[in-house]
Amino acid sequence: MSPFPTDLPALTGGTLDSSQFKGRAVLVVNVASRCGLTPQYEGLELLQRRFADRGFTVLGVPCNQFADQESGSADEIAEFCSATYGTSFPMTDKLEVNGQRQHPLYQSLTATPDAAGAAGEVQWNFEKFLVTPTGEVAGRFRSTVTPESDELVSAIEAVLP
Amino acid sequence: MSAVSDARTVKAAEVQLGDRIRARGLELTVTRIDQAFLGRDNMLAFVEDSEVQWLKVPALLDLDVEVVSGDSAGPAVA
Repeated sequence: MSPFPTDLPALTGGTLDSSQFKGRAVLVVNVASRCGLTPQYEGLELLQRRFADRGFTVLGVPCNQFADQESGSADEIAEFCSATYGTSFPMTDKLEVNGQRQHPLYQSLTATPDAAGAAGEVQWNFEKFLVTPTGEVAGRFRSTVTPESDELVSAIEAVLP
Repeated sequence: MSAVSDARTVKAAEVQLGDRIRARGLELTVTRIDQAFLGRDNMLAFVEDSEVQWLKVPALLDLDVEVVSGDSAGPAVA
């Protein structure tokens, strides 16, 4: 069952077309514009360009629950991503990934353990969840696992349709 | 007339659960303290997990943190 709700809000307004995730591998990443890990955007965009034609997409999820590092408006976030990193992957509107107002997308994702067996809360910005084309969560990678790491790239290649 | 706060400054490592703090420009009530933030032994992270907000703020152990005692900003006096 797909973790992607049909009413996922888009950063640019309206809702994201959930059919764009159907049958594709999706790397869901909670992002922030003012974090020491923000340069990971560059690696995420490289993954998007490398694998998009093979049935893969990154999905960026802006979140301001980590030290107020994503405090800008939707327009400011979109402009930052586009102008600084030339991102081409879809982005949701700002979501809460932890806590009592946790978005349903993350209620599903955070049940998945990481490589050390730890499930539960997202620990920090740029945590990554890999969803298979059939909607299963195949892997969880903490913030310090970079987009270009062998660990993550191998996992993506293993689930491409 | 000026407001006088009875806030005090402590090191991050001295903050206790339940403290209302100001750190890195943010204010939160600490409901959990995570040690070794992102595997760094010299850092911790304050978490407020409440009806009001879920917010995580990391800090070096020796960061100066303002602890707000009493009713947040403390009593205003003439």
